[in-house]
Amino acid sequence: MKHYVLKRLGQSVLAVLGAATLVFFIIRLSGDPARLMLPPEASEEQVTALRESLGFNQPLWMQYIDYLKNLFTGDLGNSLYYKESALKLVLERMPATIDLAMFAIIIAVTVGLLAGIVSAYKKNSLIDYVVNGWIFLTQSLPVFWIGIVLIMIFAVNLHWLPTSGNRGLESIILPALTLAAYPIAPIARTMRASLIEVMDKGYMITSQAQGFSKPSRILKRGLKNAFLPVITVISLEFGVMIAGAVVTETIFSWPGVGQLIIQGVSNRDFPLVQASILVISIIYIAITLVTDLIYHRLDPRIKVH
Amino acid sequence: MKKSKFLLILTLLAVFAAGCSTTSKSGAGEEATGEGQDQKLEITIARAFDVNGLDPGFLTENAQVVDNIFDTLVKRDKEEKLVPGLATSWSQIDDTTWQFKLREGVTFTNGEAFNADAVKYSLDRVLDPANNAPTASYVSTIQEVNVVDEYTVNVVTKKPDPLVPTRFNRYPTEIVPPKYAEEVGQEQFAQKPIGTGPYQFVSWDKGSNVVLEANPNYWGGEPDVKKVTFRSIPEASTRVSALLNGEVDLITAVSPEDREKIESSSTARLSTVERAGNTVYVGFKTDVKPFDDPKVRQALNYAIDVKSIVDKVLQGAAVQTNSLIGPKDFGYAGEPEGYSYDPEKAKQLLAEAGYPNGFSTTLDTVSWYIKNTDVAQVIAEQLKAVGVNIKVNNVESSVYRTLVPAGKQSDMYVLGWSSTNTLDADAAIYAILRSGESYSTYANKDIDAKLDEARSVTDEAKRKQLYQEIQDEVLKDAPRIFLYQENQYYGVSDRLKWDGRVDGSIPVSTISAGNE
Repeated sequence: MKHYVLKRLGQSVLAVLGAATLVFFIIRLSGDPARLMLPPEASEEQVTALRESLGFNQPLWMQYIDYLKNLFTGDLGNSLYYKESALKLVLERMPATIDLAMFAIIIAVTVGLLAGIVSAYKKNSLIDYVVNGWIFLTQSLPVFWIGIVLIMIFAVNLHWLPTSGNRGLESIILPALTLAAYPIAPIARTMRASLIEVMDKGYMITSQAQGFSKPSRILKRGLKNAFLPVITVISLEFGVMIAGAVVTETIFSWPGVGQLIIQGVSNRDFPLVQASILVISIIYIAITLVTDLIYHRLDPRIKVH
Repeated sequence: MKKSKFLLILTLLAVFAAGCSTTSKSGAGEEATGEGQDQKLEITIARAFDVNGLDPGFLTENAQVVDNIFDTLVKRDKEEKLVPGLATSWSQIDDTTWQFKLREGVTFTNGEAFNADAVKYSLDRVLDPANNAPTASYVSTIQEVNVVDEYTVNVVTKKPDPLVPTRFNRYPTEIVPPKYAEEVGQEQFAQKPIGTGPYQFVSWDKGSNVVLEANPNYWGGEPDVKKVTFRSIPEASTRVSALLNGEVDLITAVSPEDREKIESSSTARLSTVERAGNTVYVGFKTDVKPFDDPKVRQALNYAIDVKSIVDKVLQGAAVQTNSLIGPKDFGYAGEPEGYSYDPEKAKQLLAEAGYPNGFSTTLDTVSWYIKNTDVAQVIAEQLKAVGVNIKVNNVESSVYRTLVPAGKQSDMYVLGWSSTNTLDADAAIYAILRSGESYSTYANKDIDAKLDEARSVTDEAKRKQLYQEIQDEVLKDAPRIFLYQENQYYGVSDRLKWDGRVDGSIPVSTISAGNE
């Protein structure tokens, strides 16, 4: 076990470093922050002077080494636009994104599990087809479209909820529903498949022979055995949500990290984008790590690949 | 065993979720109050972006928000005429010196006195190259600011500069309190600004909103609107929904597709500012074949049916124009007769230039402009009719901002330009026509000389005449396909009285309660 934990930890650190490196180079391949910070009328000398003062005139490898050095001391630099610690800006925005993802995952898990269980229980019935069809539909609709339709219905037409912003509980409902729309499908599908597979297992047939009714069989024996793969899907989807709230946050002007990233990328605010991606990768990788460790505890047959 | 573990995980997850959800911030009470509360008019304005700092000397975006906290020496009235601000009068005392007489008895909202030292301080920090002020280019003609006495300053320019009063109308020349600015430092000042303006800073919730309240001691009188919240709603359609839902009272950057939604609403109206946006054109790299031949450039102008593009593609969200300069800008000389839509003439000119069978090239476009891809496609189709094959290349906007000044765009490219707040022809055309400027792909010695002269003579009649000559010559020489100038749209709640401005500013002190 200890060996497994150490190995997984090592892999995680490497993954974080990989993400930090990738974002460093990708963001630098397209666009010049000095040019973007200045109005179009600015002279070439002014652009050069700013570039120098920001340190972007140095060779890329030197910038990279500085970046790594600073990374190990926890210094992610100052945002070029906000002139404040990039890490601080990201951490200030993180709670809003986590709130949103939490709400969304609760909705997605509740709906996804119910849909999965019902459609497994009534396999190949009309209700199974309806549930699957609906899931297929929500998954193929763009997030963007879902968000705008929800705003039209619940904010503009019914006046039940605000269109955007962050003013307590009522403002989180629409963005959370939008963000939840996509992960419902994989959760429901995994739940259904896993439950159907479990129901064919020997112990289920035994319990049928013992005279348990079908609902109680599923609840008592089936579900707990079918859950393992679902947990992985849920935790992965949660990670994806934190990273994937970008579109949802933009539609609903939700003041989270997603919006900060959008802004950072379009301004080529290197330190800000680097800090955001780093924090998100750490969260994502930590979730995966914890899931794997729990999984390993529950089923020691699982090995490091 | 397995079951209890699983339950534990689920419980933990639920607890975590519940714990997190309670941290969600409740609003700072920025909700717009209902009608009927005339005593305390509070409004919310939604823009596409949050500010990223509130120091007018170091802005990287426009000054829509900070202009309400600070004053400039010169202001613009409703008709966009230059009127006294913190300066009561100004005059040119020699070729390179402008003298400003300052308003007496004005204080910053922290009690600091406004005087000539404050003016000098505000400019010096922007002019100091060590500070890398992003908009230093707006005042780069200024050599120094000299204090004459407590309420008089002299602005000395490097060369004669007719635009000094205009420069003192917009950022980065807002006046800041020297003592406070020194005390808190540049970073802190950008977080908690103090000015002399009609509004004072209350709070800034990053990524969400900036709240200001009326300055009760404002020298220009206390404004009607007592509290204003600037919210950022990046998505254009959400902004419109928020307006229609009554959550916000004024929205900027309404996209042309949403005009109808606002016009047909019973709670808000559309404020159209004709020709307040960019003058959009197709630029040619005039040093590259075949665009080095004026006949080819003229031919392509004849080949484009601009009217149909404006009417059908843009649905009237722009105005066709052959003028380089907008109607509100100094130097505007009416609408010159341009190129009619005449494909036959285009073919004939191409043949004369040695391209009877046309040629192939690439046209770059970018999302900054209304329906940019549709417009580019139509241009490509119309050019195909005269034998010119165009490949349309849609470039990501941040990339485009790097590509174009480096001269790395395609030989034909869509670009828009405006006089951005200065309302003067110099800003509208110098950077895109003067050879050697980073956004210019044109080189014409005569035009260069005239552009240089027009920015250094202070005689208005002479300047007007120079711009007229530039206009005529450029129209003939056709370094671009002349297209149109875009309109700008605002959505305004019926409970407010306000109309959009050509200079793009939103002086909240000019907003009053609606006509109910």
